[in-house]
Amino acid sequence: MTQETIDNMLHFGWDMFPGEVIMSLIVMGIIIILSFVVYFKFRKLDPTKPDKGFVMVVETIVEKIENFTIDLMGKKWKDFSGYALALASYIILCFLVSLIGFPGPLTYLGNTFSIALCTFFLIHFTAARKNKWGYFKRYTDPIPVLLPVNLLSMWAPLLSLALRLFGNALAGYTLMTIVYYFLGLASQTIFGGIIAGGASSIILPPLVTPILHAYFDVFSGLIQTLIFVMLTMIFVSQEDPDEEELEESANKVLSKNV
Amino acid sequence: MEGLKYIGAAIAVMTGFGSGIGEGLICAKAIDGMARNPEMYSKLRTSMILGCALTETTGIYGLLIAILCLFVG
Repeated sequence: MTQETIDNMLHFGWDMFPGEVIMSLIVMGIIIILSFVVYFKFRKLDPTKPDKGFVMVVETIVEKIENFTIDLMGKKWKDFSGYALALASYIILCFLVSLIGFPGPLTYLGNTFSIALCTFFLIHFTAARKNKWGYFKRYTDPIPVLLPVNLLSMWAPLLSLALRLFGNALAGYTLMTIVYYFLGLASQTIFGGIIAGGASSIILPPLVTPILHAYFDVFSGLIQTLIFVMLTMIFVSQEDPDEEELEESANKVLSKNV
Repeated sequence: MEGLKYIGAAIAVMTGFGSGIGEGLICAKAIDGMARNPEMYSKLRTSMILGCALTETTGIYGLLIAILCLFVG
C-alpha cells in the first residue's frame, strides 16, 4: 500500500462532510453524553433528601417541558415531552456553538431539513396510526379532483419548518460575517500604522459584535427553538387530538361566559 | 448581465414590506391589549414575540432568496 492510499483511507469521509455536519454530530454527542450523565446521577439519587445543583436544574427543565407539552397537546401526549426536549436541546446547542467560533450547524440546509423531516414523519405516522386506512382519504378531501393540490400542499409544513430555521441561522451568520469583514477593514485602516501585520484587524470587531451575537445567536436561537418545538407539537397533536381535554376546556370556556 | 442578480436580490428582499406591516400590526394590537388590560402584560408580551417571530418568517424567506441570489447563483 502506498502512502497515498493510506492517506485517502484515513481522510475518507471527513473531507466529504462540510464543517457544519461534523459540528452537528459533535452537538449530538454532547447531548448523548449529557443524557447518560443525567441517567446515572438520577439512579444514585436519594429521594429523601432535597435535590440541589445539576439534578435540580435538570428536574426543573424536564418539569417545565412536561407542563408545556400538556398545556399544548393534552394529557394523552405527556410522553411526547421526550422528543420535544431532545429537539429543543439540539436546536439551542446548535445556535450556541457559533458563540465560541465553530460553524453553526443550522447554516447548512441538510441539518435543518433532517430535523424537519423527523417532525414530518411524526405527523404522518400519527395520522396513519389514528385513522388506519382512512389516512389516505385526506388526499381526496373534499373532492377527488383536488388530489394534485393536496399532494403538493402536503409538503408545506416540511418546507416551512426547514426553511424558517435555516433562513434565521443563515441571515444572522451572513450579517455577522459582513460586519466582521468591514470592521476588520476599518480597524486595519485605523491601527495599521501602529501595529504591523494582520493583528491590526482584530481590534475593533470584538467591541461591536457581542451585541449582534446576543441577538442573532442567543435571543433568535431561543425564539426559534420555542417556535420549532411549538409548531411540531401543534402539527402532531392536531392529527390525533386529545378529545377529553378539548371537551373539558370547551366546558370551562362555556361556563365562564354563562 | 452579471448585475441582474443584484436587482433580483433587491426585488426578493422587498418581502420585508409585507412582513414589516404584519409585525407592526401585531405590536399595535398587543400594546392596545396591554393598555386595556395591564394585568395580562406578561402573557401578551410572550404571544407578541411569538407572533412576531412567526410573521418574520416570510421576510426571512425573502432574505434567504436574496442571499442565495448574491452568493450562490
